[in-house]
Amino acid sequence: MFEPRRSFTAALVLGLFLSAGASGALAETAQDLYMFHCAQCHGLKGMGDGPNATKEMPVTPRDHTSALEMGKLTDGDIISAITDGGTATSKSSLMPPFGKTLSKQEIVSLKDYLRKLCNCKGR
Amino acid sequence: MTSFRRLLSAGLLSAAFLWSLPSHAGVAEGRKAFEANKCSGCHQVEGPAREKTIKDQMAKKGPELWYAGSKFKDGFLAKWLANPQPIRPFAYNSITERNRGDHPKLSQKDSSDVAAYLMGLKSREVKPLGLPAVDNPRGRIIFVKKQSCYGCHSARVRGKMAGGLTGPTFAGASERLNPDWVFAYLKNPKVFKPVKMMPVYAGILKESELKELASYVSSLN
Ligand code: HEC
Ligand code: HEC
Ligand code: HEC
Repeated sequence: MFEPRRSFTAALVLGLFLSAGASGALAETAQDLYMFHCAQCHGLKGMGDGPNATKEMPVTPRDHTSALEMGKLTDGDIISAITDGGTATSKSSLMPPFGKTLSKQEIVSLKDYLRKLCNCKGR
Repeated sequence: MTSFRRLLSAGLLSAAFLWSLPSHAGVAEGRKAFEANKCSGCHQVEGPAREKTIKDQMAKKGPELWYAGSKFKDGFLAKWLANPQPIRPFAYNSITERNRGDHPKLSQKDSSDVAAYLMGLKSREVKPLGLPAVDNPRGRIIFVKKQSCYGCHSARVRGKMAGGLTGPTFAGASERLNPDWVFAYLKNPKVFKPVKMMPVYAGILKESELKELASYVSSLN
């Protein structure tokens, strides 16, 4: 009597597990990642005005919409800064490292998202 | 032989069970008060962590309490539940709305009962290492310089609040947080919060550094 239901749940659990594994990081969109992890400092629109960017902070988060600022960085620079933090590109440690938080794919998707925000190419 | 062992462990289990009942007066009342006050509508009290995606995390209405007994210091909960003061500067899961400081408040009696109940919820991932809560130069340097934890966490510096606003404040951490839990949380964050706005530092900082940080953070007041 309970058998079919149990195997159904088992299949469901297995299915969830497999789909989680297949997509690697459960397929968060770059925008969702940005809103969740980055907007707290860089702002919801990326203008460097998130709630942690108070006047007392010694360094302002990069304005991701500024083609002038973002144009100075290569794609590799952006990926290093997100992976290993600001110190990887000789910037402030106020930009934290996300290499153990986000997958490589997610970091690359964020790099693409930033390129759209600044509407600019790398140096 | 086997049956003897089984008997012995059954005896031990029931002994542990019986022992745990009378020694914590208020646990049963606390559990009842927790339900009666609808606390479980916002707080998860059974582990393990269930959230897998950002959406799962955003659906939560309050921090999980299934490891409260490992996280908080003795005495903190009874005081806080009777007179809750904001811990997170922003409303839970929000970066636009301020914490209005409107957390449900309990009577003294309910607070101490609920505290007794919550302090019984432990996580085996938190080993009793007895890390000291002390200001130490290496922990401080990581916090203010090497990793700039203050970018998201505020603390009282020479009487004034300073630091970022999206993480829980560490003002009062010395009364609130168990250093052994802070270390376990930094070392193995996925157990406690699989999806969170704070980056994972395990694998970036060494275990010895995580211990120094845990001691430092838990000393802040
Ligand atoms: C704790 C606040 C904080 C968070 C969270 C944060 N950043 Fe930053 N970020 C900064 C600050 C501050 C700077 C500027 C550093 C400087 O100019 O020295 C910066 C700079 C950058 C830069 C420019 C680096 C360079 O070499 O010029 C990039 C790219 C960047 N952030 C991307 C991101 C992304 C993507 C996320 C989310 C995954 C993120 N940041 C999350 C604070 C933060
Ligand atoms: C409407 C949702 C909601 C209800 C109902 C609720 N809480 Fe909370 N609780 C929260 C939020 C949000 C926070 C975070 C508050 C802060 O950071 O200042 C919190 C924080 C806490 C904390 C501190 C946890 C930590 O990690 O900092 C405890 C303990 C707690 N609540 C216990 C209770 C108890 C006991 C009840 C029932 C009397 C209760 N809560 C009812 C939403 C709720
Ligand atoms: C990008 C912002 C950010 C940075 C940088 C950051 N944190 Fe956090 N931290 C948070 C947030 C947000 C939470 C709450 C997580 C949750 O409850 O979902 C948190 C939670 C914590 C907690 C648990 C506090 C509690 O009461 O539940 C500790 C301890 C902690 N952080 C320590 C640190 C340390 C040490 C560093 C530096 C190595 C650090 N954090 C860097 C945002 C940050």
